[in-house]
Amino acid sequence: MKNLLYKEFKLATHPTTYLFLSLGLMLLIPSYPGYVGFFYVSLSIFFIFLSGRENRDVFFTVSLPIRKTDAVKARCSMIAIIEMAQILVAIPFAIIGNASRTGENLAGIESNVAFFGFVFMIFSVYNIVFIPMFYKTTYKIGIPFLFGGIAFGLFYILVEMLVWIPSPIKSFLDTLDPTIMVQQLPILIIGIVIWFFTWIITYKKAASNFEKVDI
Amino acid sequence: MKKHVNERVFFLIFKIISDILCIDDIHSIEGDLCMEILSVVDLCKSYEKFDLKNVSFTLEQGYIMGFIGRNGAGKTTTLKSIMRLVHPKSGKVTILGKDFAENEFYCKQKIGFVLGGVDYYPKKKLKIITDVTKRFFPEWDDEKHLSLLKRFDLDPEKRIDELSAGMRVKYSLALALSHNAQLLILDEPTSGLDPVSRDDLLCLFQDLIEDGEHSILFSTHITSDLEKCADYITYIKDGEIIASTEKDLFLDEYRLVQGPIDKLTSELTEKLIGVRKHKFGFEALIRTRYLPVAEGIEVESADLEAIMVHIERG
Repeated sequence: MKNLLYKEFKLATHPTTYLFLSLGLMLLIPSYPGYVGFFYVSLSIFFIFLSGRENRDVFFTVSLPIRKTDAVKARCSMIAIIEMAQILVAIPFAIIGNASRTGENLAGIESNVAFFGFVFMIFSVYNIVFIPMFYKTTYKIGIPFLFGGIAFGLFYILVEMLVWIPSPIKSFLDTLDPTIMVQQLPILIIGIVIWFFTWIITYKKAASNFEKVDI
Repeated sequence: MKKHVNERVFFLIFKIISDILCIDDIHSIEGDLCMEILSVVDLCKSYEKFDLKNVSFTLEQGYIMGFIGRNGAGKTTTLKSIMRLVHPKSGKVTILGKDFAENEFYCKQKIGFVLGGVDYYPKKKLKIITDVTKRFFPEWDDEKHLSLLKRFDLDPEKRIDELSAGMRVKYSLALALSHNAQLLILDEPTSGLDPVSRDDLLCLFQDLIEDGEHSILFSTHITSDLEKCADYITYIKDGEIIASTEKDLFLDEYRLVQGPIDKLTSELTEKLIGVRKHKFGFEALIRTRYLPVAEGIEVESADLEAIMVHIERG
């Protein structure tokens, strides 16, 4: 697995992966929908698969003395690392942005603890739709990305809607009050747990799909 | 070759002794001494419009086998099925006596599989591909790899897409041989190469098998390549193996006949393969066992191309 991960980062990673990591900076933009920066992660993941197809990555990988399921596990692990890295990079910018801003974010949820919990959930939804669908063929990428993007978008709208209408839920979610942010921690934890378990399901389903593919 | 004959003799003696002493555990020893580097038994694969039907053949250590057939006959599908890149419906593949399905890691270590030349990650430098590839092979030999690059005149600083088709095949071979692959499975390695590069590559194949440990299975429809270097021929037609034998025996099995039309009797036609009539008479293939034929019909030896053309003509 270590060797496969090395191969993923040495060969398969698309340059935009590193470029888009810097889009955590978008959390510094005043009154801007914070989830947008994270959409670019899904785009960089799409680029990895796209460039993999153009570089015949699947053929190269399965020619190596490995199991096909390990190839999928390595790719899913790389995606998990990229998503984690994106969140870790974004956190300091969220803190700086929140500290430097006066007034609330008029374009959506504040970059708070619940926000990052929802980001984990959005990644979960994208992963579980896009990745197994790609491994059904290993060459059709547009359709899986379309469905992954729709899932991402719908879930994004859903979680943003929670803070559109004035309600106790909005008061609880759309705040930078430190006391309430502590109370939001379960949302972050639930987000991480959902992300972790959907990662396992995503990997298992993708590996099962890939096993049936003739290369 | 001599070494293998000795091994086989030793193995047979051991088998007789073990039979006398009722020793059952001979198979582990058989695996070590096995001369059979590749065995394919009853490989079947179904597609919507094409079936691979009970493909079976064997290849021994120290030989080159040419895998021939026209485009779409099932050559690549067979090779991919051997490597489990496609899923055969049934059948068994063994490498050095070990079941491929159960020992995939071991078997892939022993095989260098090349579909054409290296065409993955064309914008990456050779040294990067090498750096990634070698991590997967415990038996990787850096010194050997460097000497192979030198021998093939390959610059590790070059990108894959800067290599010619022939150089890409050579780089594939350099990768395979550096991890001590004993069986090279090559799909159309010579297609797209100029005559000099082709000849160079065929000479290299012959050099490789000289140690008696390496074997090469390569598919091609360029029959002249096989005339030069193949020891065995396996011929696939419409997904079925119609011959798998020594090249000389295969060539000896057929003759080319030609003569005037009036000599083409119905009795003779039944024995002929791929008859082509022209204004001067006819030309066809005939199995050697049907010889001699009527007077006035010229009989001459057939090369692989003639055999293939007439068989495919049906």
